[in-house]
Amino acid sequence: MRVGLIASTAGHLAVLLWGVVSFPDAKPFDIGPVDTLPVDLVPVSELTRLRIGEKTAEVREVEATRPTEKPVEEPKAEEKPAETEAKRPNQAAPEPTPAPAPEPTPAPEPPTPEPPAPQPEPPAPEPPAPRAEPEPAPAPTPEPEKKVAETPPPPTVRPRSKPTPPPQPQRQPPRENFNPNEIAALLNKVEPAGGSSSNSTQPASLGSRLGQSGVTMSQSELDALRGQISRCWNPPAGAAGAGDLTVRLKVFLTPSGDVDQQPEIMNSSSNPSFGIAAESARRAVLRCAPYSLPSVKYDAWREVIINFDPRELLGG
Amino acid sequence: MNPVELAQTTLAAPQGDMSFFALFLQAHLVVKLVMLGLVVASIWCWAIIVDKWLLFARTKRQMNRFETVFWSGQSLEELYRTLSGRANHSMAALFIAAMREWKRSHEGARPAIASLRQRIDRVMDVTIAREAERLEARLLVLATVGSAAPFIGLFGTVWGIMTSFQAIAASKNTNLAVVAPGIAEALLATALGLLAAIPAVIAYNKLSADAGKLSARMEGFADEFSAILSRQIDERS
Repeated sequence: MRVGLIASTAGHLAVLLWGVVSFPDAKPFDIGPVDTLPVDLVPVSELTRLRIGEKTAEVREVEATRPTEKPVEEPKAEEKPAETEAKRPNQAAPEPTPAPAPEPTPAPEPPTPEPPAPQPEPPAPEPPAPRAEPEPAPAPTPEPEKKVAETPPPPTVRPRSKPTPPPQPQRQPPRENFNPNEIAALLNKVEPAGGSSSNSTQPASLGSRLGQSGVTMSQSELDALRGQISRCWNPPAGAAGAGDLTVRLKVFLTPSGDVDQQPEIMNSSSNPSFGIAAESARRAVLRCAPYSLPSVKYDAWREVIINFDPRELLGG
Repeated sequence: MNPVELAQTTLAAPQGDMSFFALFLQAHLVVKLVMLGLVVASIWCWAIIVDKWLLFARTKRQMNRFETVFWSGQSLEELYRTLSGRANHSMAALFIAAMREWKRSHEGARPAIASLRQRIDRVMDVTIAREAERLEARLLVLATVGSAAPFIGLFGTVWGIMTSFQAIAASKNTNLAVVAPGIAEALLATALGLLAAIPAVIAYNKLSADAGKLSARMEGFADEFSAILSRQIDERS
């Protein structure tokens, strides 16, 4: 028995020693160096914060042009192609008068250097080498003129377009100078606007009417509401003058997404079919009644104004 | 890595160290006791295995040698005289016991031949039982360790995991790095249990089969020798 005990103890000690020597530690997993790409995870709502605009309008890159409720004088729509860089056409509209002035001046000039360039070429086909030298000589002279002429206009255009924010003076007076006696006057102002966004040259961009008032609704949530309503909307197809049939509906919603009271029709039209269109819009809102919207942002969608524009659906 | 370095790393990084000693030292007292008990059981098992292995080999060798001598045609009296002086085991012990009974029956003035055959059988049965007991002694330890060691190891593991879950609850952190050392040290208990149990089970099966074979061989020899002696008795009477 002693032999067995000695052998067993020696064997166990050997195994333990072997374990200590050959398994000293768990090897950490080797992870090779990886080139990291910086990726930011940004929620969608952070990029598409609410801007001043119409909730039912399409998504546009233009900054928050709110549909003006009374017609603003914008006769100069023909300067817009030239003014691609100006972000707010409403504000830039009065200014373009100086802008075209400098631009025509460089415009005539580039043609003048160009014609001389082809002119020397046709008469001199046989000696190309000596005549190639005089060509650069006239070319550099017009180029500095072009640079000088082109660089000044941007500073003249930009400072003028930035400082004037017209939407704010329009919005504030009715709040502060609210007089119950002038309700009729206010109503008179609202009605001719017709609710459609045709008054502003740019279509309304997506946003809330209050702008960023602490509550942000993401673009996808507004799209969801729009999709829910438009699914139920049966527009008056075949009515004459579909362009006039834009119905502006104010919908009151409960926190559970139901319609609180009868939706208000906020505009009117002389079109005989307008009544039918308004009723169809109201039916659409009532039919799809429980809307699934984020209840956290109830303040943002308690009162929703929806534009029912048949042209969108009829492909206009 | 030599033990000095190992000790240094154990001191330097007690959390991340996963060596045997570090795991053992981090364990709870109950788990430590379980591990120590399992190591002792493993040592004892292997001691028994080695001892039995040697014993069986020796017994087999003695049997072979005795059988060759026994069937070589040598006189049984002479064989008895040479063997009776020393301590004998297995077949030799059987032969000595039977021969001693034979001789004692023939010694007196009036030989007791009548029931000699039964007495010789009885004596050989007793000797076989004694020898079989000697062969199978402590094999039950192997069986016990083989069946109980996994449960003991499992108990240590359960206890270790219990304490490690208590550690999670205390640190309010479910990070895997918090859980892993406790579970690793707990699993070490199960590993030791299996380490003790697997050889014990295998060796028990092998050794008990060997012991049975040796006992059968002794019984076969006892029957043969009994036949020889009874023929002698019948011829003399």
